[in-house]
Amino acid sequence: MSWSLNEIETLSRKAARGAGLSWGLAEEAGKAARWLTAAGLPGPQVLADLLTRNDGADYETLCPMEADEGRWVARGGTLCPLISGAVLCDNAQRLGTGDLTLGRTAAPMLLLPYLDAAARQCGSSLTVRWNGTTVTLGNNAQAMGDSLDTPMADQITIASSTAEKAANPLPQHNRGDMPANVAQCLKAFAERTYAPETEESRLSGAGAGLTDND
Amino acid sequence: MQLHRLGSFHQSRLSFMRILLRRLEGEAWTFDRPVFDIDACGVGRAVYSAHGPDRSYSLVAFANDLPPEKRSDRVIATEWDATFTLFDGVPTTADLDRLQDNVPKQEAGRVSEKELSLSRANRSVRLWEHVVERLSQGQQPERQKVADVGYLMRTTAVYGSGKFGAADREMTADRPEFLAPFQVEMLSVFLTRAFVMDLVEHMAKMRAPDTAVPLDPDLRRRFGIGNSTGLGMAPFLLNHPALLNNWIGAREEALSRIRNLETAHAPEVENFRRFALRARLHAEEWHSEHPVQIEKLAALRHDMAALLAHLDSTDLTADMPWNRLWLWAEDALSVEGQELLASLLMEPYPHLVDGMATCMAADEPATWRINGAMPLDELRALVEDIYGWALAIDWTVREAQARVWYTSEAKLEPRLGERFEEELDAYEQPLCPGRDAARMYADLQGSEEATVAGFLMRHPEHRHVARRAQIAGRLPYAEIRDNTIDASVMPIDMLRLKLSFFGACHFDPRSDRWVRINMYQHAPFPHELGERSGDDWAYPFLKGGVV
Repeated sequence: MSWSLNEIETLSRKAARGAGLSWGLAEEAGKAARWLTAAGLPGPQVLADLLTRNDGADYETLCPMEADEGRWVARGGTLCPLISGAVLCDNAQRLGTGDLTLGRTAAPMLLLPYLDAAARQCGSSLTVRWNGTTVTLGNNAQAMGDSLDTPMADQITIASSTAEKAANPLPQHNRGDMPANVAQCLKAFAERTYAPETEESRLSGAGAGLTDND
Repeated sequence: MQLHRLGSFHQSRLSFMRILLRRLEGEAWTFDRPVFDIDACGVGRAVYSAHGPDRSYSLVAFANDLPPEKRSDRVIATEWDATFTLFDGVPTTADLDRLQDNVPKQEAGRVSEKELSLSRANRSVRLWEHVVERLSQGQQPERQKVADVGYLMRTTAVYGSGKFGAADREMTADRPEFLAPFQVEMLSVFLTRAFVMDLVEHMAKMRAPDTAVPLDPDLRRRFGIGNSTGLGMAPFLLNHPALLNNWIGAREEALSRIRNLETAHAPEVENFRRFALRARLHAEEWHSEHPVQIEKLAALRHDMAALLAHLDSTDLTADMPWNRLWLWAEDALSVEGQELLASLLMEPYPHLVDGMATCMAADEPATWRINGAMPLDELRALVEDIYGWALAIDWTVREAQARVWYTSEAKLEPRLGERFEEELDAYEQPLCPGRDAARMYADLQGSEEATVAGFLMRHPEHRHVARRAQIAGRLPYAEIRDNTIDASVMPIDMLRLKLSFFGACHFDPRSDRWVRINMYQHAPFPHELGERSGDDWAYPFLKGGVV
């Protein structure tokens, strides 16, 4: 089934919120899933897998802390790419001036949309590497390597680079597909944000008139 | 940017319906009806196509014989009198068959990237049967009954951009005809009105083929297309701050240009006076049973009398005439009247106003990302500037946060609940920027972080409102500066704000969170464009006056 990018973004945002992220982080998670889908990458799949793995985990254990100069790790051992991505984006100017290393990170593909935005903010291309995969982001996004959708990377390096014409730029898609089990997983997380139906809510919450048959 | 003012807006030259019809007329779009296959029970399908310079679009309509007990305007309804989609091009029979399996189901069906919108409508039972019966007997409907309701069907949702599988707005946003906001939806509704009028005449003819007559063309144009709108529109305004900024900004710029005119020519003044007369007629024909709107309408009628009297005693050709008029109105008119004046002032000046239509779309990604490098003092100052009103509220008082915006699991209907009476806190949507800004401000005061990036890493719960503050810092009209969860909040103010930009009129609240409106009343039908103005129809015509 073909999904619109808005559907993918909306479902992903709600799912991220349902899985416990703050609204602001969830908004960006939705944009990330959309960006990956538009680039022909399995954003919703990777997101669904990550949310399942991190369900119930405490923010403090997932967010980055600077272990040494230029090296971020998670207190709990594994960085969440949705949190790290947002923090990287907030530190876009710093990314333009020096290399950064991330320790063990889950689903590193989810970092790409944030780094693309960061590259645009700092006005420099960024090159990110893990497990033999290299992705350049900014005006000429392109990816090389076979571990793009790895569930875990032990180390990630992010370096600013000079923008060269991409030999194989990521293609742009305006629709997306996701397997039924992925959609079901995201919907299940999203449903946590919906209030259960009650008679009182049904009668008063929408405030419609008593009859529309007029 | 306060709700009592935003909730008093009226349609204007910058309304999306008027932008659309100006284009359709200016580019000489043509229209045809390749399919109209509807039986005596009113069941079947029809296609209405619009052909522009480069592309065609088609409204695909499915008519239904709906049992009365199923007729509900709410999101939770599952069947409607008619359902629609706007197709990108002209559909084949295979397309129609595919759509017939999906469009009547609305949210429970799927459409594709070939479809640009999905919508439905219910009959006004009061008027529908009267019109069918009279026409079938060879008579015209009673004018008063037509005036009392104003439409034969009301749409109850018009979904666009990517909903239920439809094409994303981004796929069509670079087409000239869709540059302005909501042009897909406005085109869909314009063609829906044509379909509904054809359908009622068709039903009369099927009932009595020998005696039935069509509607008199002048009376026919008095039918708009209704709309019944609930809370779903309110989150949209809060979730699209850059778009809201551009709508209000375009309006403010247009007004500013007019108020800054040193002089006005006599024909412009006379033109303005004629529009004021027509607006008075509109105010007289506008009815509501809601106590708040009854009061506002009484004030508006008084305002129109005061305005016309003032026009008779004032020279408006010299000495910054429109600015003088505006300053007079600030003391003399109610907010409802002031906002009608704002719309009226634009009428004589298409060359100063209409071009602003191109500024009403928004490049939302350009202003959306958080600037983490911003010094924290700067964010504190922004919050004080933009949310000063919210910092002055005592949020421990129950009334200040009496309400909760939430989404029901029942067809995801947006609702507003009572925080202290229902178990809803856990499901609260982030639609209360004032309270959230006040919460963030409390943590900002104690923070020793130097930048927004550092602060948000420690406080991810404030991330959404920090983003809002930064957007509103860049865009002056991005934020509604009122408490959207107060015990006294009137969500209909938010609905009216959005609907007025669509070009709706005859706002008739059914409660504090539900409003009925009329769209395209007095507008030409597709086949009349060119003979009749696509621009000048939004106010009723004076007897014997301008066509």
